[in-house]
Amino acid sequence: MGLDYKWVFWNTHKKAYDRLIVSGMVIYLVLFFTISFLTNPEIIAETVIIRAFGSLAIIMLHIILAIGPLTRLNTKFLPVLYNRRHLGVSMFLAALIHGIFAIIHFHALGNVNPIYSLFTSNMDYGSLTNFPFQVLGFFALLILFVMASTSHDFFLHNLSAKTWKRLHMMVYLAYALVILHVFLGAFQQETSVFTTATLFLGWLTLVSLHLVAAFKESKVDRFVAEKNTEGWHKVCPPEEIEESRAKIFTVKGERVAIFKYDGKLSAIHNVCKHQGGPLGEGKIVDGCVTCPWHGYQYLPHNGQSPPPFTEKVKTYALKIEKGMVYINPKAFPEGTAIPPISSS
Amino acid sequence: MKRSDEFYIGYQKEVGPGTKKLLKRFIWITVLILLTGAAVFGFFQRPAVNSTFDFGNPTQVSGVYHESPYPMLRVPLAENEFKEIVLLGFGKSGPNPFLKDLRERKGDLNGKQLTIEGQLIYYNGRTLLEIDDSQKVMVSGTGAYEQPKSMGTRTLEGEIIDPKCYFGVMKPGYGKIHRSCAALCILGGVPPVLVTKEENNREVYFLLTDVKGNPIHQDILPYIGQPSRLTGQVKELGEWRIMQIDVSQIEKLKKESSIY
Repeated sequence: MGLDYKWVFWNTHKKAYDRLIVSGMVIYLVLFFTISFLTNPEIIAETVIIRAFGSLAIIMLHIILAIGPLTRLNTKFLPVLYNRRHLGVSMFLAALIHGIFAIIHFHALGNVNPIYSLFTSNMDYGSLTNFPFQVLGFFALLILFVMASTSHDFFLHNLSAKTWKRLHMMVYLAYALVILHVFLGAFQQETSVFTTATLFLGWLTLVSLHLVAAFKESKVDRFVAEKNTEGWHKVCPPEEIEESRAKIFTVKGERVAIFKYDGKLSAIHNVCKHQGGPLGEGKIVDGCVTCPWHGYQYLPHNGQSPPPFTEKVKTYALKIEKGMVYINPKAFPEGTAIPPISSS
Repeated sequence: MKRSDEFYIGYQKEVGPGTKKLLKRFIWITVLILLTGAAVFGFFQRPAVNSTFDFGNPTQVSGVYHESPYPMLRVPLAENEFKEIVLLGFGKSGPNPFLKDLRERKGDLNGKQLTIEGQLIYYNGRTLLEIDDSQKVMVSGTGAYEQPKSMGTRTLEGEIIDPKCYFGVMKPGYGKIHRSCAALCILGGVPPVLVTKEENNREVYFLLTDVKGNPIHQDILPYIGQPSRLTGQVKELGEWRIMQIDVSQIEKLKKESSIY
């Protein structure tokens, strides 16, 4: 959490995370270059650079896209999510080196502008196998650039979490463009079954992880609460909620987290104001609901971040009848204090 | 069953033992993915050919200049033995921008003895010379050059490439990935060349012209970098062949190029 903007709020974990990113990238590049020049001695450096950075960016993109569903399936993966934006920016830099070298190599030093050439030097837009695959890569790189350049809390706050999240969901469009770029480009000429199978396996893994995670989450949304005469939703007995933790329920299409702490119960909106993290998967730490994604905190009884922070989420009224917790589906405005109820 | 009480907060130092264990496993799996990826993508690349571009290592070449059909230099190697060197310009361009000054001063260059300092490109017995400075082209006399000899009409299958990249500047300098670059080179004045394979798997190279023997550039762009069938009058000029074609009669073939 921060009140002002810095390039990076460094801490031990972020430093360790970045060291691992750089080490992984260096290991990949060194091995790719070594194998390329040993097994293909006539190859030229420009080709190896384009291929090394392009393939590295694709592998990194797969890892990045796997992190989200992995954390939804097992919260112990959360440290990997914590600094994912640095991984994203590193992946963009690898893709950028691939793109710049490819544009210089194939499109520069001609009698037309290299970017104009990228769109016009192959006009077979109506053909699948002859399609100008470079255009797909260019648009993917453009999306990754927008994402990388807004991967900072300054943009997150100024664009609003919702807009920022929508913008960053475009990574899936970028992924689709990248896959098409490779299958309609490199794989049309470099037709090894092993490289094709590797990328197919990556795609399959990502699709499976997303489907399994979505199925797990859909259980929460499928929950249909009984309503009492006043329209309150009957959710669960208080014993079902662990101390300092929450249970998530969907009421009126909104996910709400009911927290138990110090013998009390409070309900707040499940979506963190920072990046939309699931507050209900967080924990009460130092008396505050703590978001599992980046540690943003809210007081459970009023949904307000502790001063001097200013984030606020909606709150909900709870009551216990005949040993069951009931929630009023009508949310109070963000930051409204609601007295907690006793959990016993 | 009570769930583990471990809870990770990025800005706090402590990490629970279960989380640490899983993270270690994740890191090792990621390293394994990176190693496997580098091995697969690095190893399974088509082998590059031993073509050469003497970049940064200029050579002075003397011979008789002629334009039949593209700017070339007939260079004597021994008595009655010559090499036809195709002339090219810097980057994705033909030689004409670098010969313009000389033409303005000396007129028609056909039959002139030229000495050019440029960078050689060579592969499979064919040589090309890149001129990157018009000041490095000098006239030193006159000489004779041969006219192409007719070899009849032929129909051939192959791929149209730009010879600058194919014979050494780029690897690979053919196919779909390189198609845009080949289009720019040919548009810039590099002669289009058809590469075919004979029955003995030997590559044969045809400089392509229109049916009247004039250079073609723009019109052939849609056919570059893909398997095609061409029919035309074939002529021989030293180690090169020339094919005079009607571009509109080129037939695109839906199959993998035989030159790969």
